[in-house]
Amino acid sequence: MTTAGVLSRPVARPDLLLRRIGSEWVLYDAARAKAHVLNLTAAVIWTYCDGTFDRAAIADAILREVPGLDATRIRDDIDDVLRRFADEGLLG
Amino acid sequence: MRRIAVAPQVLEFASDDPIAARVLGALYHAAPATTAAPTLRYALRRSATGSAAGWTATAPARADFGPASLGDAWAFLEWRATEDLLNGAGADAVFLHAAGADLGGRLALIVGDSGAGKSTLLAQLMLRGHRVLGDDVVRFAATDGLFSAVGRSVKLDANSLRAMPLIAARCAAAAVGTLLAAGSYYVSPAAIRRSWAAEAGRPWAVILLDPRDRAGAPGLVRTSEGEAAVIVTEKVLGEAAGGARRREDVTVRLLDVLADVAAYRATGSDPAAVAGALEREAER
Repeated sequence: MTTAGVLSRPVARPDLLLRRIGSEWVLYDAARAKAHVLNLTAAVIWTYCDGTFDRAAIADAILREVPGLDATRIRDDIDDVLRRFADEGLLG
Repeated sequence: MRRIAVAPQVLEFASDDPIAARVLGALYHAAPATTAAPTLRYALRRSATGSAAGWTATAPARADFGPASLGDAWAFLEWRATEDLLNGAGADAVFLHAAGADLGGRLALIVGDSGAGKSTLLAQLMLRGHRVLGDDVVRFAATDGLFSAVGRSVKLDANSLRAMPLIAARCAAAAVGTLLAAGSYYVSPAAIRRSWAAEAGRPWAVILLDPRDRAGAPGLVRTSEGEAAVIVTEKVLGEAAGGARRREDVTVRLLDVLADVAAYRATGSDPAAVAGALEREAER
């Protein structure tokens, strides 16, 4: 699948483990023996990567959950974070 | 002959020669002696000729090393004893390349590559009266998530020793448990303090040592807890990780145990100042 396809309705690889460490989150990829440190925004986006949300729906959901966020900025953040997830091979 | 327990192994060090016996006794001097049957046996023997290069070292599952100088034979045994220990940590535990100290009931895990200054900082903390887990190797039991002490001697160089006159004096007097070997001083924690071992526990903080941070004012600065936790997971040593599945389990367990850890980078080039800053943070 192309990166664009992966990002249309992103699906998190089910074998990855998300753990909170302090105020951050660590996503552990055992298959590649690699761990990724996520900030809170990235961790929240990760939880919406179940194949049912497209980027707009993820943004809407986050904006509903956290009122007061800048809508344009959160959409940019989602694009950046999903691209990073895809580049790191974290999406199915 | 000396037998010591480093769970789950029992190491036996033997030599008929009094010099070699003292050498062998220094490395794991602080580990508890035992009469249990040895699981790993090491020996240093002097050849009949008595020449300087006439030493032979024996270790499990290896061809004898030698004849060689005492220094080289010692280095071989140190390497083998460490590797054998790391690869035989048992089903429930692994060893990590890290140092650790107990600051008033708060356990600090000190992490950095070889040469980053773990041993020097740990020695400074020992001199300030803190109990320790070790300067280079600590044990992590995945079952209960506790870090515990390994009774291995602290390895210091002459530069480090210069700033620590008490330890320097112990080494100069060749106190039991101290040893000068090929430019390095081995100092048993038990040669500094009878009750040296920190209680097993979970870390309050991870201290990252990186030579690139030596510039600037000495002290501690807060850093990413996530990055620090990931660095700790990368410090699991040896084949004891036991394959991908075991390593995965250990990594996840470490991340769980480190969920509420504080993370600091040590800055500056004065380990005594860093030790003081660490005490102040622990008292907060």
